[in-house]
Amino acid sequence: MSSPALLALAIAAISPASTEPAIVAADYLDLALVSEHRAFVPGRPASLGLRLRHAAQWHSYWINPGDSGLPTRLEWTLPAGWHASDIAWPAPTRFEVSGLYNFGYDGDMLLPVVIDVPADAAVGTEAGIAVEAKWLVCREECIPGKAILHLNLPIMAAGNAPSSDAWRFDATRRALPEPAAWTGSAWLDGDRIVITLRGDDLPEPTGLDVFAVQRRVLANAPPRLRREADALVIDAGQSDYFDEPPATLDLVLTNGSARARQVRVAFVALPNASTRSK
Amino acid sequence: MTLRNTVFGVIAGVALVGPAWAKPVIGEAAPSFSLSGADGRTHALSDYKGKVVVLEWHNPECPFVKKHYEAGNLPKQQADAVAGGAVWLTINSGAPGKQGVLDVAAANAWKTKSKAASSAYLFDPQGGAGRAYAAKTTPHLYVIDAEGVLRYAGGIDSIASADKADIGKATQYVPQVLSELAAGQPVSVGSSEPYGCSIKYGS
Repeated sequence: MSSPALLALAIAAISPASTEPAIVAADYLDLALVSEHRAFVPGRPASLGLRLRHAAQWHSYWINPGDSGLPTRLEWTLPAGWHASDIAWPAPTRFEVSGLYNFGYDGDMLLPVVIDVPADAAVGTEAGIAVEAKWLVCREECIPGKAILHLNLPIMAAGNAPSSDAWRFDATRRALPEPAAWTGSAWLDGDRIVITLRGDDLPEPTGLDVFAVQRRVLANAPPRLRREADALVIDAGQSDYFDEPPATLDLVLTNGSARARQVRVAFVALPNASTRSK
Repeated sequence: MTLRNTVFGVIAGVALVGPAWAKPVIGEAAPSFSLSGADGRTHALSDYKGKVVVLEWHNPECPFVKKHYEAGNLPKQQADAVAGGAVWLTINSGAPGKQGVLDVAAANAWKTKSKAASSAYLFDPQGGAGRAYAAKTTPHLYVIDAEGVLRYAGGIDSIASADKADIGKATQYVPQVLSELAAGQPVSVGSSEPYGCSIKYGS
């Protein structure tokens, strides 16, 4: 094996009294399990997150990784009765190498989750949280990794204060796609998939990018975008591995500056007449 | 649109995005190719008419490829396929200078070291064969039946991970397709989404 860190198993050990998260250094990626607050409060959801700091030019993956790659996965070990949500995925960035497209993240970012703290969590004790993270980090070449990260925080009745990482959670909330109240539909047009969106505050096509949450539906190359009267039209290739339309398709729209939006569209047999006549 | 406009449009599109991607169609004739091999011979798909052919896209330094060679999964699949009368062609579509590109000597040394049991190791430095099959990842697997019809395109198995421990839990698609073809049964899974590293095509 050429790389001793091919499957780096790194275990972060911190002293139980510490609230500063330990940073695990893996190949081209530093990781830490961080909390928005310094303590858990019974009955209050807690915001935790996996902080990922990528080396320059390296990236990890969104829930739909695109033509290759793997989404980052988290497996939690929590006190009895506690529960972790799925990752709330920030809007991704599109990476292109030689005509293949991937969706993911670079730089210093956070994958947030919400932990349900039961109302009967014992105040005055300390809760130990562990998460096993598995990721793939790539430039052109790729390195998979996994690590177990730990975080121990006190359980307090009240008076919870923000941690030194609280600002990361604020910044990440602004990067989460906001559900849009647009109406939309999608249909098959030969080997293309055409999606129309209508509603208030539709973004302009210029500088906009669109990502499908579900795999095996849209091709991973950028879709063609245009305005038609009151509609935003997304004209995408079909995935090479498209079987049949899903009942609904979730799209994330981002132009890198305004708040990203998320919308769910249904597949229909035929488009409505006003758009189809174009 | 006139034919002339159509042709112009296609050429303009190609100039913008590089060599054209084909979309291989399951149940239709597999795209032809002719590539030089690490054995010093030229291998064309048409040379193997009458035999089942497996194509495997390869980059020796990709961790997903290493997963399946180091665990013995790909060597065993290759040996079993060849023992069953199939031809297994391993293809490297990496462009010169990219990660995992091998010359003849390095490819033969790699085959020995990795216990590869494929029929031949083929070089596709221009990426033409890879793009004709819309090969995107290493590994990426295809099965072509004895009549030259594409019967499978997709991933090596059903669990997308870099972890060797998942191999035993996953459905290995190529052996499944080969045994179904040998038994004259319909192919139960003819397409899956591949996982792995991006193929390092030239631009």
